[in-house]
Amino acid sequence: MAAEAAPPHLELHGLEKRFGATRAVQALSLSVGKGELIGLLGPSGCGKTTTLRMIGGLMPATDGRIIVAGRDVTALPPHRRDMGIVFQNYALFPHMDVAQNLSFGLEMRKIPADERQQRVQRALAMVRLEAFAARKPRELSGGQQQRVALARALVIEPSILLLDEPLSNLDANLREEMRNEIRDIQQRLGITAVFVTHDQAEALAICDRIAVMRAGVLEQLGTPFEIYERPANEFVAGFVGRVNRAAGHRGADGRLLLGDVVLQGTGHAGAGPVTIMIRPHRIRLTDTPPEGIGWNSATGTVTRRTFVGDLLSIEVALGPASLLVEQHTFAGAVVAGPGDAVRLAWRAEDTLVFPASPAGVFPAPPAGVFPA
Amino acid sequence: MIRSGPGRYLFLALVALLFLFLLGPVLLVFPISFSADSFIAWPPSGWSMKWYAAMLEQPTLGVALRNSLILGSIVTVLALAIALPAAVALSRGTFPGRDAIMAGLTAPLLLPTIVLGLALLIIFVGQGLIGSWPGLILAHLLITVPYALRVLVTTLGTLPASVEEAASSLGAPALQVFFRITLPLMTPGLIAAAAIVFLVSFDEVVITLFIVGPHLTTLPVALFRYVESRTDPLVAAVSVMMVLFTLTLVVVLERAVGLRRAIGGKAG
Repeated sequence: MAAEAAPPHLELHGLEKRFGATRAVQALSLSVGKGELIGLLGPSGCGKTTTLRMIGGLMPATDGRIIVAGRDVTALPPHRRDMGIVFQNYALFPHMDVAQNLSFGLEMRKIPADERQQRVQRALAMVRLEAFAARKPRELSGGQQQRVALARALVIEPSILLLDEPLSNLDANLREEMRNEIRDIQQRLGITAVFVTHDQAEALAICDRIAVMRAGVLEQLGTPFEIYERPANEFVAGFVGRVNRAAGHRGADGRLLLGDVVLQGTGHAGAGPVTIMIRPHRIRLTDTPPEGIGWNSATGTVTRRTFVGDLLSIEVALGPASLLVEQHTFAGAVVAGPGDAVRLAWRAEDTLVFPASPAGVFPAPPAGVFPA
Repeated sequence: MIRSGPGRYLFLALVALLFLFLLGPVLLVFPISFSADSFIAWPPSGWSMKWYAAMLEQPTLGVALRNSLILGSIVTVLALAIALPAAVALSRGTFPGRDAIMAGLTAPLLLPTIVLGLALLIIFVGQGLIGSWPGLILAHLLITVPYALRVLVTTLGTLPASVEEAASSLGAPALQVFFRITLPLMTPGLIAAAAIVFLVSFDEVVITLFIVGPHLTTLPVALFRYVESRTDPLVAAVSVMMVLFTLTLVVVLERAVGLRRAIGGKAG
């Protein structure tokens, strides 16, 4: 997955969208390598779909430039951008059958009829829908419609594939299957793709790199590993994956305190109040905590225990903070229950430290743990 | 909803009563049209088909019927030709004054027709449009375009914009998107709009009364004039034919395209 090394195929330079006084997308610059699958990830209203629509030409940019393979396409209408778009609601042509849906883009490109037919056949084979060529979209299941939409966007061999929340209308089982299928096809064709989603697991699973956005601003751009392990700020850490959040303090001497426990952490927060974030599954319950550099340990009291089959979640009160600990279960495991004192241990590098956010800007959820 | 018990029967009786109230007068013309009397009376003293025979021998009504059919057809084509581009612009474009234009185009529906008729009379007299085809067509366009526009704007509103965006991303310029995607998907709405425009034009009396001349009249106006001077059941026979014609048109359209859905109601 060394897609970053590839020459940039899609470049955004200071891309901006304003609606009146609202800046839906703010000075967004990023560069996507040839054959790379980049995810635009963020909560609704973060500007990810607006960005995608500007790339596709469906919405004019207020400012900035969009470069594809060295060519400035900012001013081009969508039909001259050579981009395949998969829409959230699939947007199939209801009055045409599947083959006609696929053939439409080829007709617009004045491809001769016999070649058209071959390419439609190939595209249908790619999404395993050869038998459905004569069906109307309304006669297909959601997953099949999704695959037709993908084939229709790809049959024109676009220079870039844009996917706008393509999986959000599918049920959970199908979603995972389809995301892997999209990834497989994208890699097989080596096509540059932009994938908009609000689902962090989806983005982590299939993207080469992820651009995390919030309120029109790019918060972090990195590989799934970097985004998850080295989040740039509190927002990214909280949005991608589950995480404990606790208010701590860094002294002028550099000592990091959670209540009265001294911790080692990673991050660049200066002296003053800080937010300490630790992922629940990176904390161990252990009687013999590893000593020394690189490890934190503390003693707390179990306040709640929830068994969910493969996972056991244990809430531990630790001074002023409450930490959620997740353990994979195995038969015969002896686990503490409410009221028991337990020792916790976790690595220093799993202790993410950020400057405390100003009150009100980013309110903490009550449980101290972000939803997945 | 009342599902059981005596309330249910009361409810059904009320619905039946309402239908009777709405449709009773229409239903009454059916037996009267088969009257053997020379004047409208209830109950008729005998039954015959003679008023249907008389209808065929009425040259004025025949010509008026032909005029109404021609007028309705021309008005339908022109109203759609005006309303279609307007509907596309109003529902797809964003420009200042859009809502004002929409309101302006549908305003004729809100004015009392008698006022519209008088206004048209005053304007048309000076232009020599009274009793002329252009005058009739203009007047009928004025009252039918708002209907057509409403139906077409509703139709376009239910078409997801993303379908058009998909076509354009696949390489279709705006005109191709319109003719290959938008227009075919609008077919039910277009047919519904055409039917409504034709029926409104075919049915219109008040405004038309001001505009017809001695040599050019429409069927509803001719009937109105006929009733003014005579009271025989011939009008009942003509009314029956008009009711059946309208009903047939509506039923056929409902079967063909789902008229209710196209007009904007829920599919039945």
